[in-house]
Amino acid sequence: MRERLLGIIQKEFRQAFREPRMRTMLFLPPLIQLFVFGFAVNLDVDHAYLAWMDGDQTYESRELLAAFQGSGRFDVVALPASDRDVQRLLDSNKADLVVRVLPGFERDLLRDRPTSVQVLINGANSNTASIVSSYASSIITSFASQVMQEQNRARLEARQAPTAVSFQGPQLKMQSRVWFNPDLRSRNYFVPGIVVNIIMLVTLMLTAMAIVREKEIGTMEQLMVTPIRPIELMLGKTLPFALVGLIDTLLVVVAALLLFHIPFRGSALLLFFCGALFLMTSLGAGLFISTISQTQQQAMMTTFMFFQPFFLLSGFAFPIRNMPEAIQILTLLNPVRYFMEIVRGLFLKGSGVDVLWPQMVALAVFGVVILTLSSLRFRKRLD
Amino acid sequence: MQPNAVEIHDLVKRFGDFVAVDHVNLNVSRGEIFGFLGPNGAGKSTTIRMLCGLLKPTSGSATVGGLDISTQAEAVKQHIGYMSQKFSLYDDLSVEENIDFFSGIYSVPPERRKWRKEYVLRMAGIEERRTSLTRLLSGGWKQRLALGCAILHEPPILFLDEPTSGVDPIARRTFWELIYQLSGAGHTIFVSTHYMDEAEYCHRVALMYRGKVIALGTPDELKGSLASHHIFHLEVSDLVGSMRTLEKVEGLSDVAVFGGGLHVTALDEVRALVEIRGALEQAGIKVPLLEKIQPSMEDVFVAMIEEEERKAA
Amino acid sequence: MSLRRLKAVTKKELLHIVRDYRSLWLAIALPLVMLLLFGYALTLDVDRIPTYVYDQDHTPESRDLINQFRGSRYFQILEAVNSYRATDRAIDKSTILLSIVVPKYYSRHLLAGEEADVQLLVDGSDSNTASIALGYADAVVQSYAAQLRSDAQVRRGGQALQVPVEPRIRVWYNSDLKSKNFIVPGLIAVTMMIIASMLSSLTIAREWENGTMEQLLSTPVRPGELVLGKLIAYFALGIVDMLISIIVGVFIFQVPFRGDVWFLFFTSCLFLFGALSWGIFLSASTRSQLMAFQLGMLSSFLPGYLLSGFIYSITNMPKVIQLISYVVPARYFVNILNGVFLKGVGTRVLWLEVVMLAVYAGLVFVGASRKMRLKVA
Repeated sequence: MRERLLGIIQKEFRQAFREPRMRTMLFLPPLIQLFVFGFAVNLDVDHAYLAWMDGDQTYESRELLAAFQGSGRFDVVALPASDRDVQRLLDSNKADLVVRVLPGFERDLLRDRPTSVQVLINGANSNTASIVSSYASSIITSFASQVMQEQNRARLEARQAPTAVSFQGPQLKMQSRVWFNPDLRSRNYFVPGIVVNIIMLVTLMLTAMAIVREKEIGTMEQLMVTPIRPIELMLGKTLPFALVGLIDTLLVVVAALLLFHIPFRGSALLLFFCGALFLMTSLGAGLFISTISQTQQQAMMTTFMFFQPFFLLSGFAFPIRNMPEAIQILTLLNPVRYFMEIVRGLFLKGSGVDVLWPQMVALAVFGVVILTLSSLRFRKRLD
Repeated sequence: MQPNAVEIHDLVKRFGDFVAVDHVNLNVSRGEIFGFLGPNGAGKSTTIRMLCGLLKPTSGSATVGGLDISTQAEAVKQHIGYMSQKFSLYDDLSVEENIDFFSGIYSVPPERRKWRKEYVLRMAGIEERRTSLTRLLSGGWKQRLALGCAILHEPPILFLDEPTSGVDPIARRTFWELIYQLSGAGHTIFVSTHYMDEAEYCHRVALMYRGKVIALGTPDELKGSLASHHIFHLEVSDLVGSMRTLEKVEGLSDVAVFGGGLHVTALDEVRALVEIRGALEQAGIKVPLLEKIQPSMEDVFVAMIEEEERKAA
Repeated sequence: MSLRRLKAVTKKELLHIVRDYRSLWLAIALPLVMLLLFGYALTLDVDRIPTYVYDQDHTPESRDLINQFRGSRYFQILEAVNSYRATDRAIDKSTILLSIVVPKYYSRHLLAGEEADVQLLVDGSDSNTASIALGYADAVVQSYAAQLRSDAQVRRGGQALQVPVEPRIRVWYNSDLKSKNFIVPGLIAVTMMIIASMLSSLTIAREWENGTMEQLLSTPVRPGELVLGKLIAYFALGIVDMLISIIVGVFIFQVPFRGDVWFLFFTSCLFLFGALSWGIFLSASTRSQLMAFQLGMLSSFLPGYLLSGFIYSITNMPKVIQLISYVVPARYFVNILNGVFLKGVGTRVLWLEVVMLAVYAGLVFVGASRKMRLKVA
């Protein structure tokens, strides 16, 4: 049994590695995807494009501008002079927001008259809009507090009464501490997810394709006539790709660490162990897809079709927490979700088995079930 | 129109260092059924593909229907029908849809379309299956359908590349009847095959081996060229023993198993008769049958190929 | 170019598409599934953030502070706990995203006019949600702080302190700030990319692998006719998809549509044409379906998904990537889509995008036709 198994594994490896195209396809797309995803996928708003319309042109209005610029989050890209300008800037997406200081701003401030600053947010991308809006809000609000304090001081100095106690109103401040990702880089959140994405796609597709290709060429029939047993054929077909999957994992993780400086705080051993657990699922799925496809084209398309929804509902880009209850429950059936949580936990939180064991158990269960079902189906097909 | 449907001058095709077609020269007359024979890898398909404009010749020239294949390839395609080795029909289209498609591609005039479609369906014997998916047809039907699709536009010249590969003998016979029909109707047919017996069906035949044409003529001419080779058919009681014995006999150029017996080729008829019987009976082998036979095309070709190999050695 | 031949090729391609159930599923069902997912389930909007509260002070003031959070729809206070261990563990296990800690002596500091802190512990792994959560929390705290000061002032007999400067925020185009409003239009682009990169990129490679290409090449059919015929067939499929997306998006998900329908139709056709031509170009460049598919994924689908501005805004990407995005046609189309759906603008603002799409479509179509070499070797 072992000899036959080794024979198939050897053949698979030779087939896979002999063709230079195949070689590159095993390792290059994952790295490219990592590269592109890693750099592109980013929800941070570091440079919001600010259009500044100063109708007052006074000391105070310039102080406000300084506050925006000083925050490091806004780049002034335009100084519109008219409503038409504003319209144009927002319509053409040249500005993320327009801040309008109305004439009389400073005068109102000096006279203790409440005034306002108009902020027009480009809502086209609502996510950045939310973030931009809250940044702008908070800058204006702290500017307001500062002004209030100065006003207070001025008032106190003006009174100079001996009984005037320097009145300090209640000062409530928020102190925040951010765990795991103190710079709040979205890349740290996404890149581990990309690792999952890549591994799943590679192992899923390659396994399905490898088996279907034999069907297409006709060599599968040939193999069936030999004394080889279904289980040996199956193992022989999936083990090489399991190995490729693990190697890809290593490559991608190393690239993630070196290229993107993502922290990795957990145990590498645990990562590979869970990776192996997850591979059971993805290889099993690949096996399954190969049993329902007759041509490579069908295999490719089916892979893609399955992959998309599973991936979208895994919590990679869109938090599961934000989904409607019913769908959240649905995601409990998604093995990718568990691996995603594990990977993120390992990279960012340094979580150990004590925290991750539910996910690990879930992965193991899924892996075993899917592999069993697929191999049963595979066996039937072979007969 | 030219008297020659196809003229080939010194055609060469190289793939890197490998010479697939090595200075081929031949002409095919109008209305001829021209057979292109040879073992696999001899260069037959490559030659046909060049004539159809699918491959660019490395050197040499050829005309098909008077049109130059290098400079007038597009015009050539209007005048030929081609059936590729794989039958190349669309599996997921029905019989009718395949016919309609090729009708459109060959720009069959609208007024003739229906008639041509019925003709092809009838010819191929698949009228009842016109709506079946091509995928579900058996080999013989697919083959005839492929032929039909190649003649929808009534091309004067047909190129058939191994049209009978992998098809059962009855289907093969039916297919050749179709070819005769077409030839009778005035089509020139250039057919390649590795079934040597099909050579008998052709008007003229060329034998290709390692890129070269090593024999050219009518089947009878070729058989006649073996005049010096006499072929005997034997039935013996011990095949393996006979072969071993006859190997030692001089003057026998070939001993081969054929059916349940042996074919032995010798240069001297009279001597051979005596020596063969003698050697075998001496070895204690009974020879119930020993007679001279007419060489079949297979015999001819085997002999010629062996000549070539001997020359090369 | 022969119209007859073109018709024959187009008809054949349409038959292929309709007969291949998997392609149809991919082309129609998958976009529908994605539409439903993006419309209902996938959102970046942050709401009901799971929170723990750890009140070390236990005074009316601390309770009042906590009530501010309780009253906000953005925070969902799951539990009031009594130790850092509880909060830390909950963050580790991802039970909560945020914990609010009111330290001991909070009310004492507050009433004395000293600085009183409220501590927030945030799980920063999901930085997007964390940023937004912090933003909300900050807003709650600041507005409460202002109210406290104002109340204190009033109690002292003074006037209610007025906030000198207030931000008046107006959100243009998408006032509810619903992410589906900008994602669903962008999905049209992604759907077309799926068809372009997956389906059309396989079509020519498949004919090579089946051997039917050889047959085709021996006929009078010209490369331009082959390309165009395939294009037209997949184009029809793309338009069907587009219509489905628009109808579902506007009528079921109530995505606003403020622009001109004909402009949308025209630009969609332009984009589809270019994307398909690219798919066919890829298909003609390789004889292996596997290669064609991979190339399609890498060059068409992925960039369309990531670099078009569909979800991730381009302006926040590294400069190099931004430069690359200029060559991604989906980028221009997403701009147009957002413009038409949300902003109601037309050619005057989007003329550059239209030009870019047209140029791209033209170049790639010519390239695809050229790539279809007539010779087998």
